[in-house]
Amino acid sequence: MTKLQQKKPKISMKQIEKIITEYQGKKWALIPLVQKIQEQAGYIPPETIPIIARHLGLFPAQVQGVVTFYAQLYTTPRGNNVVRVCRGTACHVRGGKSILKLVKQHLGIDEGETTEDMEYTLETVACIGVCALAPNLMINKETHGNMNPKKVARLFGKSEKE
Amino acid sequence: MDTITIILNGVEVSGYPSTTILDLARELGVNIPTLCHDPNLASTGACRLCLVEDERNGALLASCVTSITPGMNINTNSPRVIEHRKKILKLLLASHPDSCLVCDKGNRCQLRQLAAQMGIGLNEFQRLPQNDIIEEVNPFIERDLSKCIMCGKCIRADQELVVEGAIDYIHRGSLVKAATLNEVPLEKSECTFCGTCVAICPTGAIMEKERAYTGTVTNTVTTVCPYCGCGCTILLGVKDGKVIQARPAEGSPVNAGTLCVRGAYGWDFISSSERLTTPLIRENGEFREATWEEALAAVAEGLGKIKESSGPDSLAVYGSTRCTNEENYVLQRFTRGILGTNNIDNGSRLYSSASLTGLGATIGYAGTTGSFDVLERSKVIIVIGANPEISAPAVAYAIKRAAKYKGAELCVIDPCFTQLARFARFWLQPKVGTDIALLNGLAKVIIDKKKFDMEFVSRMTDNFRKWEESLERYTTDYVKKVTGIPAREIQQVAQLLAEAEEASIVYGNGVTQYATGTDAVIAIANLAMLTGNAGRLGGIFALQRENNARGACDTGALPDFLPGYLSITEPQNRQKFEEKWGVKLPSAAGYSALEMIEKIREGKLKGMLIMGENPVESFPQPAQVKEALSSLDFLVVADMFLSETARLASVVLPAASFAEKEGTFTNFEGRVQRLHKVTEPVGNSLPDVDILLGLAEAMDSPLPYSSSQEVMEEIEETVPFYRHLAFGEAEKKDSDLADVDDGGTATRRLHKGLFPSGFGRFSPVKYIAALPPEGYPLTLVVGSVRFSFGSGGRSSRSDRMSRFYNNGCIEINSTDAVKLGISDGDKVKVKSAHGELEGIASINADLHRGMLFAPVSLLGSSVYKLFATVIDPQSKTPAIKSCNVRLERV
Repeated sequence: MTKLQQKKPKISMKQIEKIITEYQGKKWALIPLVQKIQEQAGYIPPETIPIIARHLGLFPAQVQGVVTFYAQLYTTPRGNNVVRVCRGTACHVRGGKSILKLVKQHLGIDEGETTEDMEYTLETVACIGVCALAPNLMINKETHGNMNPKKVARLFGKSEKE
Repeated sequence: MDTITIILNGVEVSGYPSTTILDLARELGVNIPTLCHDPNLASTGACRLCLVEDERNGALLASCVTSITPGMNINTNSPRVIEHRKKILKLLLASHPDSCLVCDKGNRCQLRQLAAQMGIGLNEFQRLPQNDIIEEVNPFIERDLSKCIMCGKCIRADQELVVEGAIDYIHRGSLVKAATLNEVPLEKSECTFCGTCVAICPTGAIMEKERAYTGTVTNTVTTVCPYCGCGCTILLGVKDGKVIQARPAEGSPVNAGTLCVRGAYGWDFISSSERLTTPLIRENGEFREATWEEALAAVAEGLGKIKESSGPDSLAVYGSTRCTNEENYVLQRFTRGILGTNNIDNGSRLYSSASLTGLGATIGYAGTTGSFDVLERSKVIIVIGANPEISAPAVAYAIKRAAKYKGAELCVIDPCFTQLARFARFWLQPKVGTDIALLNGLAKVIIDKKKFDMEFVSRMTDNFRKWEESLERYTTDYVKKVTGIPAREIQQVAQLLAEAEEASIVYGNGVTQYATGTDAVIAIANLAMLTGNAGRLGGIFALQRENNARGACDTGALPDFLPGYLSITEPQNRQKFEEKWGVKLPSAAGYSALEMIEKIREGKLKGMLIMGENPVESFPQPAQVKEALSSLDFLVVADMFLSETARLASVVLPAASFAEKEGTFTNFEGRVQRLHKVTEPVGNSLPDVDILLGLAEAMDSPLPYSSSQEVMEEIEETVPFYRHLAFGEAEKKDSDLADVDDGGTATRRLHKGLFPSGFGRFSPVKYIAALPPEGYPLTLVVGSVRFSFGSGGRSSRSDRMSRFYNNGCIEINSTDAVKLGISDGDKVKVKSAHGELEGIASINADLHRGMLFAPVSLLGSSVYKLFATVIDPQSKTPAIKSCNVRLERV
């Protein structure tokens, strides 16, 4: 696998700065602002934190504190597809742990990591809410239930070709 | 306000609404343990140890964040409370290392104290160590977050008190910790090493690094920091007769729990190995050690001889702004009464005498008109020609708190970027030396829009018409052309100032150290009076560089004034002191500091006594000053160190440091604060006051003082605005700043907005364009830097500060650097018409084009060699803030 645009946000710093200036002076808007940046850039590049702080009248360390607090906010680039494997009780008793292990093997990454080609990011979640179909995993917004090793292989085995 | 009555531990008590249970309990002497509460910080209820039980419903409340409500029945020590408190403490201890034996915090650790109080030793919880030692190379602060209990005090102190924002929480849950941006070490962050977090940390998580001495403080003495004009209250910790630690005083009205790097770590010059420990007498060109008797006899003989042969006016005395009020008072009495001359001046001549002259001429009161709390509650703050972040950190903290948390609008007027500009709504960058045009322009906008305080102007001031006419020329267009500031910004700032309920103007050396410094101060005072912000509301805040600049002037170490600014040329003023001292006083005003050098060169001065000052480093044209001082028949220098000046002396007298003497210092607000003796003077050194008394005795005219207290009593008697300041009372927080209602006009502070002479006087001042000399296209601005103070006499002898400081760079704008082919770290040469200096270039993108910045002391050599001796004719202050230079690569 080649290293593809490992650290670049999807949009330019200039565009991000433009988003930030829209929120000039609005301290309350920190969370909507970082969400917007993440939506458009894929993540919140750490180098934007001092700029955000300056425009909103906050300390950079304060902005970092908020960004690192929420699990939904990321400071590292994420893969094109986010895989969330369920670790909930129902999934656990039906072998969720093995499913996670298999996904890890297929993607060659650990929890919280992103494949080098920026294709997949692997996460675990506490419950997806469809325990009846356990074990579950999600790829982006799509839920895949009744997972087994074959299905995992089908989902991830040939991913490199895409 | 109605009070609320509650029951606290079975007793009915009452307090005001919004008082917390904790505050009420503490007021009544009921102890509730806490780890995260501090009176100077907002409460967050982080540690939960302050739980109390409301017996009505069994609710457990965190008392530091719960206000009292009617009918509460609080038990601070119920069995449930005790049970929970113990459990919380055990949980804290479960993730805290058992390293108490080797931890320097020792018995000062609040966690350990509480555990001991509650009888908690080993506990049943599973240990969850959090190993997190941060590798840092700075010599001031070390962090071992394995000992952190997440009380958040350091974060709050950093953000709420010093308003730096270097640290905040990062992550959450069990991973949460206090971190800098990107978790870099402190030296790479915004941290200024003020030490506030070190002092406030309840455990050993944040500790002072590289302590000279390990061990627990056995005795703590409250005294005053010797560096800048803020005069912060510091607690010096002593062990085995040695100062080993400095902490901020929590309840100080000046610094309220904060310090800066100098106050927290810069005190160790007192035990520097370079301290003079014995008098030195020059014999055959070499110094030899001498006894005090020998030395004082030599001085008495040396000065006496000159007095006899060439008359008393061939002698001059230069007092110090680092010495106490008592010392300066005795010094001027010695000079006037025993030597018989008015040739006495003090170090503040170099930076703040324009305030004395300028404010004296307008508001009739020679100093700052407000106190720290007035500054902090101002709605608009204008900072002009000052970088308090460096020169007066406690002032900067107050301004930042006002701007960030109290809704004040901040306007910074400075050609250079200062850290305060980050908090400012406006940052105006006038061209160097155009302040007067800008200030006049602001006044004109306010008058034209009829936005000035008409009532105040008509009732309290005079000469308004004449002044108003003089402003004709300063239209916004003209001011824009002169200063380079956009017209809109001038108008906006004027409007801001005019409409402010309460505004303060803070200025510093960037205003006073110019040849037009006095005029600029007058322009500031005019603007303050125009908007009704002099004394009654807001105020004028004249920063001063050295700790006791104000006091040295108040106590009369001036060539033209007796103590209390009584003109020496008025016979009745002299008479008052002649009667008191029983001697005839010389009637003609003496020479100011820079005139002294000139007079030496003219051969009119033959002998000089210099107390705690270093003119060779701090005057313009050091080479000439050195030559002049060496040409004296007799020079005595009393100093802590063998300074450049002391090396030229005939006799050197070893002086005690601030920690080794009693006395009082007057800070820039006019607050008289008591200095306490912490340790015995090093070697045979003596406090300056004892040196002077000894000298007077050796000259057969002993002075009738046996202690500092007696001197202070005389000051109180002779200086009207030091009255009511009984030596013993100098510690009371408010007595010194309150309006003194003694019927007189010369009260300490502008009395309820009344000017001492009844009226404030508007004085027209003109902006005069200065043409830069051919061939020197760049403007060099000189200022202070954080890790060096003044000419570096003390800070360079502070071990940690001098090691951390990179000796200073010549800062240059990036565009200019490219044009001149200079890159970061290049060796460069600065040339002016008067001298040249080598240094290392450093690129600073925030600097204006055409400007350079350098610290006063560059690679150990005084930057003043580039300056001509140009003197403000009114204040006699040398213009040593900026000069025209060119830059070359070496």
